Amino acid sequence: MARLHAEEMILNMGPQHPSTHGVLRLKLRTDGEIVSHIEPVIGYLHRCFEKHAENLEYQMVTPFTDRCDYLAAMNNAHAYAIAVEKMMGIELPERVEYLRVIFAEFQRIASHLVAIGTFGLDVGAITPFIYCFRERELILDLFEMVSGARLLYNYIWVGGLAHDVPPGFVEKSYEFLDMFDTRIAEYNRILTGNKIFIERTADVGVLPADVGVNAGVTGPSLRGSGIALDLRKLQPYSIYDRFDFEVPVGTGMMGTTGDCWDRYWVRMLEMAESAKIIRQALDQLPVDGDVKSAIPKRIRPPKGEIYFRYENPRGELGYYIVSDGKNIPVRVKMRSPAFCNLSVINEIGQGWMISDVIAILGSLDIVLGEIDR
Amino acid sequence: MITSLANWLLSLDFLSGLGYWTAWGTSLFVVGTLIFIFIALNALILVYVERKVSAFMQVRLGPMRVGPMGTLQTVADALKLLVKEDIIPALADKLLFRVGPFVILVASVVTFAAIPFSEKLLAADMNIGLFYVVSISSIVVLGIVMSGWASNNKWSLYGAMRSAAQIISYEIPVGITLLAVVAVVGSLNMQTIIHAQAGTGNLFYWIPLPLPNWYIFHNPFLFLATFIYIIGATAEVNRVPFDIPESESELVAGFMTEYSGLRWALFFLSEYANATLIAFITAIVFLGGWQSPFADHRGAQIAVSILTGLAILWTLFIRLKAQRLSIYPLALGIIVTLSAWLFPGFAIWLASPGLFWMLMKVAAIIFLLMWFRWTFPRLRVDQLMYISWKVILPISLINLMGVAIWLWLTGDIQF
Repeated sequence: MARLHAEEMILNMGPQHPSTHGVLRLKLRTDGEIVSHIEPVIGYLHRCFEKHAENLEYQMVTPFTDRCDYLAAMNNAHAYAIAVEKMMGIELPERVEYLRVIFAEFQRIASHLVAIGTFGLDVGAITPFIYCFRERELILDLFEMVSGARLLYNYIWVGGLAHDVPPGFVEKSYEFLDMFDTRIAEYNRILTGNKIFIERTADVGVLPADVGVNAGVTGPSLRGSGIALDLRKLQPYSIYDRFDFEVPVGTGMMGTTGDCWDRYWVRMLEMAESAKIIRQALDQLPVDGDVKSAIPKRIRPPKGEIYFRYENPRGELGYYIVSDGKNIPVRVKMRSPAFCNLSVINEIGQGWMISDVIAILGSLDIVLGEIDR
Repeated sequence: MITSLANWLLSLDFLSGLGYWTAWGTSLFVVGTLIFIFIALNALILVYVERKVSAFMQVRLGPMRVGPMGTLQTVADALKLLVKEDIIPALADKLLFRVGPFVILVASVVTFAAIPFSEKLLAADMNIGLFYVVSISSIVVLGIVMSGWASNNKWSLYGAMRSAAQIISYEIPVGITLLAVVAVVGSLNMQTIIHAQAGTGNLFYWIPLPLPNWYIFHNPFLFLATFIYIIGATAEVNRVPFDIPESESELVAGFMTEYSGLRWALFFLSEYANATLIAFITAIVFLGGWQSPFADHRGAQIAVSILTGLAILWTLFIRLKAQRLSIYPLALGIIVTLSAWLFPGFAIWLASPGLFWMLMKVAAIIFLLMWFRWTFPRLRVDQLMYISWKVILPISLINLMGVAIWLWLTGDIQF
């Protein structure tokens, strides 16, 4: 009998696919269900952020940073603001620093909630997604209270904040934090301990620590591999050195260190740590202080350049800003954490099944707006 | 029902000229239409129920706008599907693409011919009823492979291939599990199986608990078999956590990817028909079909009271713990208990077999399937195969042997 002709099949996943977290396209080379090569094709959401920034005044760039990583808009604006402030040497009022940290950590929780929820969705659990979004809505309510927007806030400005928080904000924040611990227990009940969920994620897509470091993976994705790289601890910016919090790392509790389950679990633990930071910041929050007092009339950083690293929910967010002393930056380069995290997908996704590739992609928690910029 | 209808038509005076085959064909058509109407209405209601159940599990309200409490939502959706453009991909195999959905639908509708709804209400009383249902329902996979192949889409093809592997794997443990019951009854006739489960008796033959004589309580092996059957059957009809052929987050929509409008609606219809079918089989084979769980009206009164008492305790416990619980189940329990004691007729009705009990059991199992669907993640294709071949199949084989040994020990069969 003649041998049947067989060859690998190219499977085009995306840009329109339910689980590519936006408009990512993956070119999969498949042998049956087994994926032998993954090539991410990006650029479907390119909006010329960096070129825009070269033609806008410094304060006008802030809204564009929001739009890069739309799930962590506060963090992006925070990082950009700190970078420009460092160039100009602006000293901020204490109240601004505390409020910024509060918003950054709330945003981290909101972003991790989306990451966990969609990760559950990727492996087929629909209900945890809705649960996560229920709490995210409450955080967005808080953001709406202070900025009027629910996704893109334009709230953290260079040198200060757009407005002070309205009355009742601190009380509502405490209320949320008191409730949030019970909700984390709820996610653990419905998703974390589920046997099928563990089967689907443990030992799957193991990211060895050295591969992760070489590829520039940062954030919870690298911490899942057991490396405690958290810039809030290593190079404390803003006032992070005043707070007491842990950096959770993956320990291979359910399988190998660095598997999808570890990356998921690190995010889960980080939410509790963020809640801890917010509680401390709310306790120490100075009652008076004008949040706009330090905003400069004209933002003209002195000639020079700066690279500032910031711990975004997805990893190390970097802004490289070059100034020639005018009110428009010469260059704003953004180091996107999700871009570097996505780059290991071929390395850790090879040899797994299509379903696993979806799970691995979900565990890396990418945001296409930030990858394409 | 087909035979009696045909005989009735022949016995009518004004139809005396009617030939035997005409009468038989007419009644066949009538009964077939009735079954189809049942399946269509059933799907319409189940879609609504599923959306509501999922909504309540996800702290949402679900459909609320169309009709009172959103009850007409599925009607609106069905109308929308009817008027949608019917798209056939340019490079699809047009004939297979058109035929596929019908094969699936026909296979799932035809199985209902052997399902008894009550003592009198069934289309055809076959002596091989169970065998018929199991064999016909596996034709569904043919339709799935047809439509997956014909779509000329890689996702559809993946879905179809997964489905073929999955359904064939799970047929075997499901069949063997049902065989264990057949070994006890000694018959494949659905009505005989149900009749054999009448009355009440001991739990597992020896333990003196006044439970109904259903096969789930017959012996420990059949108790286990019930759950194996539910797991295997869930996999066979492609529902979560075994819905890998249409796994939404991986294969877009699996074999249904290229379908739209009415053809897609047919897939949907057959999906719910299949879920109902396995609920019926579970109810018939393990839960006594249309038999009442109560021996007599006294038993009904006492059992209902005990259940309501337990519900009250449970409510108090949960209310203290979580501070949120609907009062409706409790109110229903109290009303049923009071009416059972006040109106003996009601208690007698509760204790008598009939369509009501059949549908109650089916509803309970369908709710269980929905519960699975909205709380579990999805298995991977190789894990699914692992569970089928290395876990469920050996257990079901051991079960079958265990049932035989049990029957020998309890003296039901002699060698």
